[in-house]
Amino acid sequence: MATNWTERISAFCCSPSGFLSETSPDTFLSELLRELRDDRASYGIKVLLLSPLCEYPTLLCSSESAGEETALDLMSVFTQCPSRFSQFRCRLLVALTSVLVCSSCVNSQSRASLDFLDLLLRIAQDASDPPGDGTQRLLRATACDCLREMEASCPGLLSQRLELLAGLRQLETSRLHQAFGVLQILVLRNAVYQLTKQPGAGAAHLKALLGGNGSVAWEADQEAVHMDTKDAAMLLSLILGPMGRVPTLHTGPDCKELRSVLSSLLEESYLFTPLCQAALFHRLTEVVAMVPGIPPTVFRAQLLRLLGTNEVCLLHVTLLMKCGFTDSLFSAEDEAFLLKRLVVLSQHPLLSSPEKLFYMDCILHFPENRPISCGDCDEAPPVLLTPRLASVLLPSVFNDSATLLSRLNLQALVFLEEGDEESLGLAYIYDHLAALLHIVDRGGSRDIVVTFFRAAFLFLFYFHHVERYATCLSEQLCHLFLQHTRLAPHILNLVNQTQERLPECKWFVGLLQGLQRVITRVPFGQLRLQDLSSHLKVLARVAEEEEICQRSSLSFLSTIVTQTSSSLCTSGDWRLGNGLLGVCRCVLLHPNLDSILVPLADILQHLAFHYGDTDIRDHARLYYTLLTMLSREKLSAVLVQSAAEGGSQVKKRTLSCVMAESEGLTNTLTIHQTEKPIFHLTEALPGPHQEAENLQLNQEDEYKTLECYRAQLSKSGFASLIVLKYHLTHTEPHDPGFEQLFSIQLHFSHTDDHYEELQDISVPCLFRQGQRPVVQLKLKPRRPYPTTIHVSAIFTSKDGLTWHTAMPDIHVAFQQVFLPLPAPPTWSSASIRDVFEGLWDEMSHETGESCISLFCCQLGEAALKALVEKHFHSFLVSDPLEESAEFRALLFLPPKSHILLKISSTEDAAHFNMATDDCRLLPHMNSYLLKVTSSLENSVS
Amino acid sequence: MSLRALWIIFYEKGENATVRFSRRFSTVEHRAKIMAGSSYVAVPEDRIFLQLLLTELGLSSPNKPYVADRDDCLYRPRSPAVELRLSGKATLWPVLAISQGPLLLACLPLVDIPSEPRPPLANLLSVSQGLTFLAGLQTFVLGSGGKLDREGLDSRVAMLPPLLLQVCPLGTPLDTIPLAGTPTAPMAPTSSVTQKQPAWKTGLYRGRASVNVAVVETVRSMQYGNQSRQDTWDVYGTVTCKCEVEGVLPNVTVTLTLPPNGSPLQDILVHPCVTSLDSNILTASSVDDADGSAFSGPYKFPFSPPLEPFRLCSYTSQVPVPPILGSYQLKEEENNLRVSVSLKLHESVKNSFEYCEAHLPFFNRNQMGVADVKVSSGQLDVSKEKNLLVWTLGQKFPRSREVTLDGKIAFSGSSHGPSDPLCTGLTAYIKLYLKVPDTTLSGCCVDQHLVQVYSSAKPRIFTSRELQSKEYYIWNSTGSAPMSTGQMVI
Repeated sequence: MATNWTERISAFCCSPSGFLSETSPDTFLSELLRELRDDRASYGIKVLLLSPLCEYPTLLCSSESAGEETALDLMSVFTQCPSRFSQFRCRLLVALTSVLVCSSCVNSQSRASLDFLDLLLRIAQDASDPPGDGTQRLLRATACDCLREMEASCPGLLSQRLELLAGLRQLETSRLHQAFGVLQILVLRNAVYQLTKQPGAGAAHLKALLGGNGSVAWEADQEAVHMDTKDAAMLLSLILGPMGRVPTLHTGPDCKELRSVLSSLLEESYLFTPLCQAALFHRLTEVVAMVPGIPPTVFRAQLLRLLGTNEVCLLHVTLLMKCGFTDSLFSAEDEAFLLKRLVVLSQHPLLSSPEKLFYMDCILHFPENRPISCGDCDEAPPVLLTPRLASVLLPSVFNDSATLLSRLNLQALVFLEEGDEESLGLAYIYDHLAALLHIVDRGGSRDIVVTFFRAAFLFLFYFHHVERYATCLSEQLCHLFLQHTRLAPHILNLVNQTQERLPECKWFVGLLQGLQRVITRVPFGQLRLQDLSSHLKVLARVAEEEEICQRSSLSFLSTIVTQTSSSLCTSGDWRLGNGLLGVCRCVLLHPNLDSILVPLADILQHLAFHYGDTDIRDHARLYYTLLTMLSREKLSAVLVQSAAEGGSQVKKRTLSCVMAESEGLTNTLTIHQTEKPIFHLTEALPGPHQEAENLQLNQEDEYKTLECYRAQLSKSGFASLIVLKYHLTHTEPHDPGFEQLFSIQLHFSHTDDHYEELQDISVPCLFRQGQRPVVQLKLKPRRPYPTTIHVSAIFTSKDGLTWHTAMPDIHVAFQQVFLPLPAPPTWSSASIRDVFEGLWDEMSHETGESCISLFCCQLGEAALKALVEKHFHSFLVSDPLEESAEFRALLFLPPKSHILLKISSTEDAAHFNMATDDCRLLPHMNSYLLKVTSSLENSVS
Repeated sequence: MSLRALWIIFYEKGENATVRFSRRFSTVEHRAKIMAGSSYVAVPEDRIFLQLLLTELGLSSPNKPYVADRDDCLYRPRSPAVELRLSGKATLWPVLAISQGPLLLACLPLVDIPSEPRPPLANLLSVSQGLTFLAGLQTFVLGSGGKLDREGLDSRVAMLPPLLLQVCPLGTPLDTIPLAGTPTAPMAPTSSVTQKQPAWKTGLYRGRASVNVAVVETVRSMQYGNQSRQDTWDVYGTVTCKCEVEGVLPNVTVTLTLPPNGSPLQDILVHPCVTSLDSNILTASSVDDADGSAFSGPYKFPFSPPLEPFRLCSYTSQVPVPPILGSYQLKEEENNLRVSVSLKLHESVKNSFEYCEAHLPFFNRNQMGVADVKVSSGQLDVSKEKNLLVWTLGQKFPRSREVTLDGKIAFSGSSHGPSDPLCTGLTAYIKLYLKVPDTTLSGCCVDQHLVQVYSSAKPRIFTSRELQSKEYYIWNSTGSAPMSTGQMVI
């Protein structure tokens, strides 16, 4: 095993779900912990073993108790680990923090988390570093970061330790002071925040907090620290923008202690790394914003230093400060300076492209002292950003595509603000767009093509009303299309998006008309076959527009089908024919059909007689028949794709859709994905156990009951199935598009290998108003453990579309695996009792995997009786005639495990004596008993 | 201010993209879950993440001309923070991604303000922190060579876990990944020292004190030789230092000076180790109208140096003329292209180059056949690929400070040369590569005597300066040249 740990861990980290489907989280966790405790394993490997615990603690410790146990285990590993393995010890602290925080142990202040907190504080204070050795310092730094993370996840945790932390930071001269500094400011921020939430808190409270005595026992803190773990607000940053509300603490001007703490932190901020400085200033900003007694001008002395640096995060935190304090810290000149600085940085030759783009984003969300709009999310250039100032950010063809688009967007917003349609700037922007188009025309790369169409969309989005440019762009696009018909999908995408996003703008109609014009005017001799399918695609889209006359399209079609009958029509290319029919089909739906009926009929007829492909001929004939035989109303009723009443299903499918390669055809052939679960499996009320399933046994010699019973166990397939019943029901809220569902195919996949693969289950139909179909899940255990099963389904909706949907997981609880003893029905209860006795005797020897165990709990006799009746009734084997204080239950867990229970009540406790032939079942049994008894205990008390 | 996850991706032309390293920070994820509440979106597994990221960055399926998910004109990848569209309506945002060559780095910062409605990037401190962290990681992974192969990457990645344990054990970066790999174990300051060691200083220097200051100026230019298009040029400079000075927090001051009528340094950015700044130094900006009364030095930068070499400051400058003024004219003749070039070195620039070369590439044509071209000075070569003329001007321009190139080129080669969508027809350029030691265009210099080190031992002080070119283009005036900036228009 030891040799492949590297592989296993990397397999786990690549795909935890895939890895865990082959084993169970509990098994993997116990393997990890065993290996960590193993003295023979190298520390190099052990460091690796901690990765799953650091990165995915919730997958391995799903409950608080599991987290607690794991943490206790890890802590004992820590104490036993020699101090020279500092890498491992640091990593262990990180793993412990991850496990405790993520399993919510820290929030509930469990024993392990308190011990761990103690340990961390002890390490952090331990300055006894052997000279010239950095290992202890590394450990202390890690401990500080763990403390910070615990405080961050559970605000207020350390608020009583503020003085201790301040002292540690002040005394520390090594680089470690930074770790204490960032910890101190976070604790301070959280503590002040808590005070703001306490009614009546003021200067005195603040003073007490800062002088908080570290020696006060932790337990005493619990009352003082009121932690609402569900309160996400406390975790959120307070600096939201000029409109953000900050809770305040009214202290009056007298908060000397806080001032001195802040000024000492500000003074030393220079010694922090830029990343930590930014974090420090951000937290300081929050604190000062919460305490109006401290003027924001305390930051004044640091501002120039922060604004001058080339570090993006330091300038950014200054902007956030501006956001929080506006004109109480930044004058109008400061504001103008800051904006100019941002403009300079957005195009600075020495900065990286991501940084420049970020600065540009900052310009569009510039925290103005007096913002006009309060929309926090809308991009809006600040008032001070004049076109002249912004002109250094005009896009050019030398920009990378992200920069180009960002600049274009920014300029567009600036010009829009100006409202001058004749401005030189707008002309420049259009020239720029034309230059891009020129590059595309000359064979630009895919990246340029995509960028150009995005730029074109942006331009239209902002300036579609400027007729001059819009028309010009439309003309140039038509020309471009003719040169490069492969761009058809891009152009149609632009058409569709402008139609959808700019509903009042009819630019796209103009473009489509232009395209129709250029396509139909191509002299026949110059028409290239490879362009034809793109042309037809565009013409089909053109035919969807009611306002566009289709006559020229039809004469174009007519030309290609008649004049080239020798080559094109007789070659019988199916795709091409389909393209032709696609256009015809759209024309059939056109409102001006009457005026173009004859030419259309001619084309269809020609196709029907002369086209080389049978399928196309047939379809053409059908269209021809429809066209000539049906009235307009009927024709459109047959063909039109009316919107279904359901929101998510856009179009109703009609039979005619399959006739042309259209959206309809693609839609029907595709399996669609639902956005949310449509239906789910709910547990049906447990019926009688499925004894009849496998118990076809012969009457055997009653005297050798146990051997007999054993003998049948060895038969393959004996009593090996657990049948669980579920109802298939719609989820709420329901989607009207999915009221009636057909051919539902349920697919199950296990998350572990404790059970045999499940067959798919078919359900013929599911109606919302009708009966709920019952689904029987036949589970065949390999090992009778609780499990989770992923469920998905494929079904057909009423409109003929096929859908795939994920369903909520099914959780199979441990008790669902219990079966009564699979004895022949003819056996007397005495024989069953014999089997019980025999099994109990065998198991009490604890050979092999057998073992016995005792579970105790506080339950009165009556309560116990009720419990047994409720949960173990069908498994009881006690003699009803015998007035015994002891209940006996025999649980059979397929394929061949048993749990025997002798339940009795003594004066103060109920005893559950257990015997089993598979000791791995005991933990599950224990937690099950804990569950059923604790609920009772609570209700009794 | 924390990261939820981190990825290092290696891809060769988008085909074999693999996640070479990933790290999830579970406690940050825990906080993300609490803060986002019902709108929480979990981080997908690496395989899915990779696919989504490539699609979003336009790198997936490189052979397909149009993929709706990737190429829709509606999407504008808001680099540097992209949004990954997961199944259903869920999106993962903001994924920061930076790439260089085959290396793609990504991280997912924690959104610590309400995520509905979507807050602007500018309100998330974790974004700029994430960018800084990724940039540091990129420098580390690329190593000193700057070039990267799979093996090199794997060996760098193998060094990462212990480094991450130091600078970002739980997802909140305390520093960027140290460049030199494992930082030296910090030496414990002697007990008499009361000064605190800066967290960005990895150790203490012991030995002879020395300070090395180098000013490097870079000039860029676009010259059109055309009345309707104004030529543009700009200059930016960097001052790099390497200081070996004893002490926990030694004080050093470097002063930059300009000649008497020099135009002021603008857009000054300094290293965070600079302790204080005069507000005059920061006010001059290239986006302002030039003001005669502007502060023009001396520029004082007091700082306490880190151990490694660092960029003390950078600036831009508006010099009145470009160092070399060129003109480039092409004329299409029967079977030939007539070429005529002249370059003139400005009299204020020192005529002593380390190198000076003019490159004349030709695109969208056949390979060169006969090149009957004469130069008045220097040496002319045709590149091996037969699509580029390299004019090596050597160390000096002639006394007249003007050189010319004239001749005819026949593109009669049998095979096609390289293509370029920009340089079609007569659109063509000359690109200049030059380096002049011991000079700057702005006149900015560091006087040895104005480098002050406050320490007991007298330090050795070295200063140097240098001018180089980057993106120095001279466009053919008879063709249409692309505009590099619209600033002049407005």
